[in-house]
Amino acid sequence: MPLHTPAKRHGDGRAAVGNVGRPPVGWAVPGILFFAVFAIVPLAIAVYLSFCDWDGLDSPTLTGLDNWTRLFKDSEFGQAAWLSLLLTTISWAFQTPVALLLGVWAAGRQRSRAVLSAIFFIPLLLSTTAIAMLFHALLDPNFGVIKEIGPWIGIDPNVMGSSTGALLVVAFVGGWQFMPFHTLIYQGGARQIPEVLYQAASIDGAGMVRQFFHITLPQLRHTMTTSSVLMIVGSLTYFDTVLIMTKGGPGTDTTILPYLMYRTGFQSYDLGYAAAIATALVVVATSLSLILVRFSGFGSMRSTREGM
Amino acid sequence: MSTDTRPAAPRHTSPVVPPRPGPSRRRRRLGNPLAGLGSLVWLVLVLVPLYTLVSASLMRQDEALDGDPLALPTDPTFDNYDTVLNSGFLTLLANTAIVAVATVALVLVLCVPVAYVAVRTRSRLSSLAFRTFLLGVAIPAQAVIVPLYLLIGRMGLYDTLYAIILPTAAFSMPVAVLVLSGTMRDVSEEMYEAMSLDGASPFRMLWQLAVPLSKAGISTVAIFSALQAWNGFLFPLILTQSEENRVLTLGLFTFMTQFGVNIPAVLAAIVLSVVPIFAVYLVARRALVNGLMGVGGK
Amino acid sequence: MRSGIFTSGTRTTRWVAAGAAMALAGLLAGCGSGGGGADGGTITAYVYGDDAVKVQQAAVDSFNKTSDVKVKLVSVPGTDYVNKLRSSMGSPSAPDVFFNWGGGSIKPYVDSKDLVDLTSTVKKDATLKDGFLPSVMTAGSLDGKIYGVPMRGMQPVMLFYNKTLFAEHKLQVPRTWEDLQKAITTFKAAGITPFALGGSDKWPELMWMEYLLDRIGGPEVFQRIQNGDTDGWGDPAVLRTAQTVRELIDDGAFGKNFHSVDYGNGGAPTLLNKGKAAMHLMGSWEYSTQLGKAPEFARNDLGWTAFPTVAGGVGDPANVVGNPTNYWSVNARTKHKDTAIAFLRTMASKTYAQALVDNGDIPTTSDAASMLSTSPNPEFANDQYQLVQKAPSFTLSWDQALEARYATPLLTEISKLFAGTTTPEKFVEAMKAAE
Repeated sequence: MPLHTPAKRHGDGRAAVGNVGRPPVGWAVPGILFFAVFAIVPLAIAVYLSFCDWDGLDSPTLTGLDNWTRLFKDSEFGQAAWLSLLLTTISWAFQTPVALLLGVWAAGRQRSRAVLSAIFFIPLLLSTTAIAMLFHALLDPNFGVIKEIGPWIGIDPNVMGSSTGALLVVAFVGGWQFMPFHTLIYQGGARQIPEVLYQAASIDGAGMVRQFFHITLPQLRHTMTTSSVLMIVGSLTYFDTVLIMTKGGPGTDTTILPYLMYRTGFQSYDLGYAAAIATALVVVATSLSLILVRFSGFGSMRSTREGM
Repeated sequence: MSTDTRPAAPRHTSPVVPPRPGPSRRRRRLGNPLAGLGSLVWLVLVLVPLYTLVSASLMRQDEALDGDPLALPTDPTFDNYDTVLNSGFLTLLANTAIVAVATVALVLVLCVPVAYVAVRTRSRLSSLAFRTFLLGVAIPAQAVIVPLYLLIGRMGLYDTLYAIILPTAAFSMPVAVLVLSGTMRDVSEEMYEAMSLDGASPFRMLWQLAVPLSKAGISTVAIFSALQAWNGFLFPLILTQSEENRVLTLGLFTFMTQFGVNIPAVLAAIVLSVVPIFAVYLVARRALVNGLMGVGGK
Repeated sequence: MRSGIFTSGTRTTRWVAAGAAMALAGLLAGCGSGGGGADGGTITAYVYGDDAVKVQQAAVDSFNKTSDVKVKLVSVPGTDYVNKLRSSMGSPSAPDVFFNWGGGSIKPYVDSKDLVDLTSTVKKDATLKDGFLPSVMTAGSLDGKIYGVPMRGMQPVMLFYNKTLFAEHKLQVPRTWEDLQKAITTFKAAGITPFALGGSDKWPELMWMEYLLDRIGGPEVFQRIQNGDTDGWGDPAVLRTAQTVRELIDDGAFGKNFHSVDYGNGGAPTLLNKGKAAMHLMGSWEYSTQLGKAPEFARNDLGWTAFPTVAGGVGDPANVVGNPTNYWSVNARTKHKDTAIAFLRTMASKTYAQALVDNGDIPTTSDAASMLSTSPNPEFANDQYQLVQKAPSFTLSWDQALEARYATPLLTEISKLFAGTTTPEKFVEAMKAAE
């Protein structure tokens, strides 16, 4: 790369300083190409396939809007979309307050907090598969821990067999795994809040609760957006847990969109329709995160430093 | 509580605002009673499953089925671990390590230049690329799995470790670019100017200024993408087939059907799958924790 | 505000650097393990991965001793088998020979001309032609053409029960619907689940549908559906079947938590051998499953019988449902068709049949009857053989008889019926409307 530089290096004044040392845009090309090949192009193909009939063996045949009209009439798709939305909402409502409180709490530097934080981190070390299998074993109505513990904490040992129970379990297991991650994000965010703000507030006589709501929360705005986007995309694409723990059941009561897509695509081999479901999923996930990003200003090309 | 336990070096605080012992003591109490209690509840929720995991993995099958699941194993046995280790566990581990390391390397090699260009140039192309990556955060892997399966097949990569590495890397890129450009943006313009006055090439600026100063972001990205690879299930499930290319997550899933209600063996497999990453955690806890904190901290 | 992540220190750097170095090594190593497959001298055979694989492995090993082209057996975990086969058949690394259930399970491959038509090969070859029971050979064919050679034991679905529990409660083994009702009432009163059911896996629920429909309406009802007439679901017998299922569930015949019990991970068999459930409707492999999990129980307390009659039903109570057997089919794109067929011929050999018998399977070879006395459990082997031999009709499991694009929605609808999220009437409507 040194070949590029000599030309303008000795130019005069400020203009030169502005341009010299700017990297050639070409440097980004390999990364962009790679991402395009393995993410953007497949996405485009998915959109194309959503207009086709394809069983995975012969070549896809175009069928126009068939899959899409079917999608809007399909009560199973409706249910799956609703369940996905429900799961996302429950996950967010469960994880955000807990992670926020734990994160702010863990931002303190006492030894005890450090020790607890170290323990809280452990679930993140287990893979999703391992966690789903662990809870599957724990929640077995006949042979799991739930049989013993369930009754004295008020949980029906057959929690996985009930429609609401199964969905809540899936949300809980997700929370169990990713809570440390979001806690860390909030912890990091909380540690960046300038001490001066609290100092000023306490001079003004603001109490702990007031400080939390007037300083901590607003200051964690960006953190909350990042965490929420990751949570929402995460819960919308929940798959391993459902496959291992419930297989979409009982009945179809935990058949969320990604699982419906998997079942349609890789069990029924109705790959065209599966692509339509997938495309719908992308549209929903993207618009949700776009709304969130717009709403909070995260991701605009500026440093978090601005606006402080 | 009144003894100041703050570590001597202010490792985590901003270099701009120095730590002030006075107010920090007040701040430390923030959210204390509620969050303190909550954290204890959470501690129980975290520990009970983990305890059962380890203790039941040491039981014989009968004891695990009949006994009180919370009791300590009466007659601890490592047979379950033997069973798992003799079921090709080491291959799974090696494959997972290869996938994780290759994914991290690929993500870093590709994303550092992208982030650097996004931060240091103002061309329309770079901002378009940046926005594409931003949107990419919301593309679920499930959505593209059908075409990917087609694509990987056409490339002749079906049932190879590449079939896992390449898409996993691609799907770690959006967050990687976001995090990296976040940290690189914090490198001040004055430092670049100083370097360019010294006649540094863009490459030298990247290598000697931006990269060293973005170490934190780079480790965040490394950890994040390693975690993606470590956790990946869908890509291995759909894009690989044979035993020699099986990774841990898929291997665990296979164990579940293979060992059936031999719950102790399944749990032993889970424990074994955690051991290596737990070792990493013990050695590099600070790096891991700080790295993940960086996902939100930009 | 600068983020705190600037402080990660040198340890991180080293970590990352080490990672990068290993990555390169990893990429190189990855090359080695890639690429496999068609390197001239081997053919790949996919087999459903369960306890019986060792029999096929032994056959492969002895075949490889004399063959120049070697067979490589790939054992695909059971639950993934269908998906994995499908995925790889569409890819360049497709197997040369693969395990299947005949019928609808191979229809898509036949339609896309992926299978070798074995009809003429079999007709010319006495070993293959006369080696197997004709009915089983027929069951594996499609439109009168043979695409598969039988390679495992017969797997009828039978009613297994816990002998001790039946003795304790002074009950007769159920032969009629009244017997069954009485058993359900008695066991329920004793706090024992009448029937173990792995509802989480869905297909064990299907077995109930298959037998009930067969007993209520006879095998013709499903035959019509299998031939592609979805209106067949409108037959009143289907509705009766679905209603009977609901009655059994409401009656508590399966207990309360069957939705979260698996077969795959052994939950349901364990309920039976622990005496927590009295009966279990399952394929004949239940015997070897129990032998593996609870040998004591399998030898002393495990009983088996045919599915009882259903009041008012027109189906012959001697009929059987399940899997007649499994087949090897040959990929049309194989480079070593002759080797593949030579390997298939070994399936008709006495050695192979004997190996199956030793493993507790009942081979479908024509001379199997004489070998059964050497089976680990001759009683079970003989009963099972008799059951199948005397059956006027052997209905192939619905999820194998139908193509995946019909079978998957069927399983989903059935699991909804069992979960109580659909009614028998809606079930019938949904099946009639299936595309």
